[in-house]
Amino acid sequence: MSTTSQKHRDFVGEPMGDKSVTSLSGIGEILGKKLEQQGFDKAYVVLGQFLLLKKDSEMFSEWLKDASGANSRQAGSCSQCLREWCDAFL
Amino acid sequence: MPLREKSDEELSKLLSEYGITHGPIVDSTRKLYEKKLEKAMEDAPVEVPSPDKTFYREEVEEVTYITYHHSPVRQEVNSDVVRRRGNAEPDKEEEPLQYTEPPVQISKRTANHSAAPGMKESGCSVWKGVRLLLLLAVLAAAVYYAYCRVVNNEEDPSGIQ
Repeated sequence: MSTTSQKHRDFVGEPMGDKSVTSLSGIGEILGKKLEQQGFDKAYVVLGQFLLLKKDSEMFSEWLKDASGANSRQAGSCSQCLREWCDAFL
Repeated sequence: MPLREKSDEELSKLLSEYGITHGPIVDSTRKLYEKKLEKAMEDAPVEVPSPDKTFYREEVEEVTYITYHHSPVRQEVNSDVVRRRGNAEPDKEEEPLQYTEPPVQISKRTANHSAAPGMKESGCSVWKGVRLLLLLAVLAAAVYYAYCRVVNNEEDPSGIQ
C-alpha cells in the first residue's frame, strides 16, 4: 500500500464542500480538465459517480481510466481518497 | 444483439447473471458496464449460463422421475387387481379402491429414491432383533417350565419320603 499524499490527507480530512475536481488525490491539471469537459467539474460530481458504482474501487478506477485517461496509480489514489472520505463523512 | 442496443433492464439482468455487482445503469455508468460485461462474456461464454441450466435440470429430473414412476406402475398394478378381483366382485366397488391405493404406492416409490434403502435395513435389523427376543423368550419359558417340572419331581418324591 502506497503512503498517502498530502493532497489525500487534505481531502479526506474535511467535508469536500464545493472543492473542484482537481482537489481529488490523483487528479492533476490535465486529468481535471478532461473530467471537467465531461461535466465532472466538482469533486462531489465525481463522488456521485463513485457512489453510483456502489463505492466499488475497482469499478471506479476502471471508469476513471476510461473517462480521463488516468493511469492505474492515479485512479487507485483517487478511489482510495473517495472511499476514505465516504468512510469518514457519509 | 450488441450490448449497446440492449435496454438498461436487459443489461442489468445480464450483469447479475455474470455475477457482476452493479449499481444503476445510467448514462455515466453504462459504458463501463458494457465493457465489463463484454469482458466477462469473452472469459466465460458457456461457463456462466451452464450452472443455471444444470440446476434447473436437476429440479426437472426430480419431477419427471415421480411422474414416470407413478403412471405406468400404478396402471399395471391396478389392472392386475381389477382383473383378479373383477371375477368375483362387481367393478363399481373396485373404483374407489383404485383411487385410494395408488397414493400409498406413490409415496412408497418416491420414498424409495432417497430414504428407503436405509429404512429397509433398519427395519430388517429391528425385525431380526424382535425375532431373536421372541425366540429367547420362548426358550426361557421352555427352560423355566422344564426346571419347574424337575423341581416338582424332586419335591414330590421328597414329600412322599
